[in-house]
Amino acid sequence: MTGQQQSPALSVEGLTKDYPGVRAVDDVSFAIESSTVHCLVGENGAGKSTLVKMLTGALQPTTGSMTVRGSSYEPSNTKDARAGGIATLFQELHVVDELTVLENLTLGMEQSRFGFLVKSDLDERVVQTLAAIEPSIDPSARVASLSVAQKQIIEIARAASSGANVIIMDEPTAALSEREVERLFGVIRRLRETDVTVIYISHKLDEIFRLGDAVTVLRDGKHIATKPLSEVAGRSELIEMMIGRSVFQDYTPRTTVTDDAVLIAKGLTNTLLKDVSFDINRGEIVGFYGLVGAGKTEIARALFGADTVSGSILFKGQEVGRSPKEAIAAGIALVPEERRTQGLFTSLTIRENIPVMNLQRLSNRGVFRSSVELEAAVEYVGKLNIATNSIDKYAEKLSGGNQQKVVLAKCLFADADLLLLDEPTRGVDVGAKAEIYDIIRSVADEGNSVAVFSSELEEVLGICDRIFLLFDGSLEAEVINGADVDAAYILNVVTGGREGVLQ
Amino acid sequence: MSVSAKIGRTLVHSRRRISDEAFITLLVASVAVGLFLIASIVVPNFFQLLNMLNLVTNNWAVISLGVGVTFLLVSGNFDLSVGGILALSGVLAVWFSQSTDGHNALSTGLGMPYWLAVLCALGGALAIGGLNALFVVRLRIPSIIVTLGTMMLARGIAQVVTQGSQRNTNLPDAFGMLGNMSMFGTSLKLPVVLMVILLVIAIFIEKKTVFGRLTFWIGTNPVAAHLSGIDKSKHVTYLYLFSAVIAGVVGILLASEFKSGYSNRGTLMEFDALVIALLGGVAIAGGFGSVVGMFFGAIILAIVTSAATGLVLSPDWQYVLKAIAVFLAIIIQTWALARRNR
Repeated sequence: MTGQQQSPALSVEGLTKDYPGVRAVDDVSFAIESSTVHCLVGENGAGKSTLVKMLTGALQPTTGSMTVRGSSYEPSNTKDARAGGIATLFQELHVVDELTVLENLTLGMEQSRFGFLVKSDLDERVVQTLAAIEPSIDPSARVASLSVAQKQIIEIARAASSGANVIIMDEPTAALSEREVERLFGVIRRLRETDVTVIYISHKLDEIFRLGDAVTVLRDGKHIATKPLSEVAGRSELIEMMIGRSVFQDYTPRTTVTDDAVLIAKGLTNTLLKDVSFDINRGEIVGFYGLVGAGKTEIARALFGADTVSGSILFKGQEVGRSPKEAIAAGIALVPEERRTQGLFTSLTIRENIPVMNLQRLSNRGVFRSSVELEAAVEYVGKLNIATNSIDKYAEKLSGGNQQKVVLAKCLFADADLLLLDEPTRGVDVGAKAEIYDIIRSVADEGNSVAVFSSELEEVLGICDRIFLLFDGSLEAEVINGADVDAAYILNVVTGGREGVLQ
Repeated sequence: MSVSAKIGRTLVHSRRRISDEAFITLLVASVAVGLFLIASIVVPNFFQLLNMLNLVTNNWAVISLGVGVTFLLVSGNFDLSVGGILALSGVLAVWFSQSTDGHNALSTGLGMPYWLAVLCALGGALAIGGLNALFVVRLRIPSIIVTLGTMMLARGIAQVVTQGSQRNTNLPDAFGMLGNMSMFGTSLKLPVVLMVILLVIAIFIEKKTVFGRLTFWIGTNPVAAHLSGIDKSKHVTYLYLFSAVIAGVVGILLASEFKSGYSNRGTLMEFDALVIALLGGVAIAGGFGSVVGMFFGAIILAIVTSAATGLVLSPDWQYVLKAIAVFLAIIIQTWALARRNR
């Protein structure tokens, strides 16, 4: 807000990033005033993380340019970004527990002569920086004795004292308690006073209004708006900009939905989940919608028996949830969140990937029925329209969408009655997305049930009959999908807007 | 139906290139043949049918061990304990079947009938295999550490039983039979025939059974295998037990051949088994490899060693040659992996 005369701390011009089949960031231009807290918001898949990766040099833009303090900025790696004065606060912390706060702050910047450490004014400088942003931390304390929030502040101080003008913070409050959040905000405000610009990324809209000076909204890779938060008329306007108007038109009520509950979960609780109860009906597509970290994956893995939770899970009247093997035998299949590391055997062929979840069908007294495998591969490659010239193509050579279809084929071959799909279209191009939705619908139309765990609102509103809204590990509300569904209400609930109302 | 059948035909028949595995196996086999031809030119009297046969028959023990090691490597696990197990089971077989009336400690055993002694020695081998499985599967300790430990444990017990020496007296006549039995009226020995049978069974399991496929799934991506309902613990336990039984049988046959129990028998053989598997294209990271490849890996190593002997290089050069072979294997391995992941 201050210093309108000087050049912006950071500006991007026509920035575009293409992936095969997807344009993740599409002609984005905006400028960030120096000494401000600039918030970056958008739904998942809006292009925030791709944008940040380009700013930090982890990715190179396809076209477009970036400017830092008036001079051109073309980082080819994170080191370049540091040299350009841009530091990133990662979610996982990079501090050394065994050293003191001071040693951590000067790590890698020590002055030395002939291999011996030399006293310099460095220590004094970092102590001053730390005192300016958080006086309560003792520089001689051992880092191991600090809380997560304090360690985070150490990292911020390190970034600030290394001369960073811009610090990017990606969901810094994810692991913090309310009081720690307040303290972090204090640190960020003091940083702003010391002429540091903060790019703040968060899904929690309240935080953005409490902290930010300006906001940039991205949607589907495109730049929607950049304006001072004082000119934004509350959450509703922000939400409107995030979701736009053109979404969720394609849902049509389905006729095969029954009210015959096939799965009943009661009181699921673990370190994240708080007493989550729900049921899924035969022939139904249910959605679990929430932000990253709201507990979607945890619920999916609990139902599948991949993680242990307390509470009860009854599937067709039978207790499940102890192991994936048992879940598959009972008729539950999971498409995991990370397809490359959890779902796919990337160094095996399509043909070898598909049959893994149904060994009974493959085994003739222990001998492999290669004819069954061959038929299954041919059948599913045709049915799911997997783009390949051969069923003996290695899974890693397929595009994201086709890889996901192979993982789906694995689950379909398992003849499951309940399909759990964790982020089924993440990193999948638009065409394959539509095809995957068609597959999901046809699976449910055949009388099976499908649970979609997604952080994309468009997705759950497009295909799900019923949507469970999650925030911070608890199931906040249930929404029946239909023409009159209120997207703003949904976004409000999953960004924590319901909490105040409940109490 | 006809449409999908047509799609099916194109999908199946358009596989122009062979699989990576077949490619690597062919590569290893051609290297083996090439080396043999080179050795035939360089080394006098190398190109003989008997010599070709000897390359296989002299290495029956390490090839047999290589089978278990290969399966474990493919599943993403090491087994460095096979050499120790081999020594232990041989020493136990001797100790159990030595009669009770020896005139000193080393010639006095437990006096068991030979068949019982063999069964109990196999029990000892299985115990070590079970220990491997317990630590790797239940306690999730990296297999290289676990089997390094059990390797020393097994050989250590053998050392205690033989008091650092040999047991070779007071044995029943039956003891020397298995290891020296000639088959089909030729000079072919029983252990070699058993090795061939083992190879055939192993190739069948690897290529044709669900068990074989499970090994590849687990080795390629253990997380995905778990989430696909595969009981990895059970499978890896079986693999360690099988490997231990193979090593146990080899140890008993060797003890029978030499009519002695010797605690230093098969020293470094666990590394030879690992080396031939790596030479044969088995990926050290798991998920890739074949028994046939391992077999040709053994042939390569055999040619290198015997050619060196034929060239009147002193036997001291053996290890250097093996080292070169290992380095080459690892370089090719890394290169192939990098190419695959490109």
